[in-house]
Amino acid sequence: MSWWQALFMGLLQGATELFPVSSLGHAVLVPSILHWSFRQSDPSFVPFLTLLHLGTATALLVLYRGQWVEIIRGFFVAAVRGRITSDSERLAMLLLTGTIPAAILGVYLEKHIKAFFASPYAAAGFLVANGLLMLGFEFLRRRAERRAAPDAASHEDVEEQFADAAHISFVAAAIVGACQALAFLPGISRSGVTIGGGLLAGLRHQEAARFSFLLATPTILGAGLIEVPQLFTTSVPLAAYLAATVLAGIAAYLSARFLLRYFRSGRLDPYGWYCIAAGLLSFALLRLNA
Amino acid sequence: MRSNALSLGLVALGVAFLIIGALYAFGVLQIFVSDPNSPHHYTHMILFVVLAVAAFIAANFTRAKAV
Repeated sequence: MSWWQALFMGLLQGATELFPVSSLGHAVLVPSILHWSFRQSDPSFVPFLTLLHLGTATALLVLYRGQWVEIIRGFFVAAVRGRITSDSERLAMLLLTGTIPAAILGVYLEKHIKAFFASPYAAAGFLVANGLLMLGFEFLRRRAERRAAPDAASHEDVEEQFADAAHISFVAAAIVGACQALAFLPGISRSGVTIGGGLLAGLRHQEAARFSFLLATPTILGAGLIEVPQLFTTSVPLAAYLAATVLAGIAAYLSARFLLRYFRSGRLDPYGWYCIAAGLLSFALLRLNA
Repeated sequence: MRSNALSLGLVALGVAFLIIGALYAFGVLQIFVSDPNSPHHYTHMILFVVLAVAAFIAANFTRAKAV
């Protein structure tokens, strides 16, 4: 992988990681469509993507630095006391509950998931499936909104009927967390399924995005700790990879700021339609290039 | 739900997770591993240590507290 390719991949991954459009799907599809010489089946490709994910996780840590201090403090206080007395303590335990199913599924499905990395066709298919999921989440959410606030005058009034991240149930947190494992499939978006899961669990759009971003951080960091050492056992352009990681972090920070603002009044639908179109277009381009 | 019996059960589960984690770390356990030839499975070990910590926390939450 050349310097420019690595930097492009960093920008692409960082910009798409937090949008519900699957950064992994894009990272698998774009090099195949552009006929880049490096292969996704190369042993250094997954650690490279993981390194880029670490850039994203760092951006999220910076964005939520104040909240993470509260969450970590809340975690230890609640764990030692054996009782939850504040929102930050509850959020800490919710994040632990949501992270465990993703960790179990990630560790035990790792081998099967990696088998999909070699196939851009699978990524294109999953991207279409991701788009349908986003549209499905919003369809179900609109139904819930009509029941919760049938006379609401604006979208903001409707959103007020729904909860913030700390008030999701523990069962819902575990289910949303388990959904993260779907994102190991290239084409299925981690933030998409977790935001969608949060919406179905009764969160406001912006709070679903916040819960998704907070939930992603320990998962991505954990995956990074496991995969990054492999970078140093294979021959890779480490300087280019690190520069790409920085670029990914900057792009992810800006994306997160944009999305938190967007979800004050926006929905998942535009991203759903984008994924369907991008998946179908990728499929067509791959067939043409075959 | 607070009960000392449940709490003890969770502590036992936590200890079991620690033992399973150690077995993975020393390569004794080879269930659902990506590379059966590897002498150590540290990823699985880390997972089971996290599960053990979660079980101990859950045990503390379910322990009957003196008022």
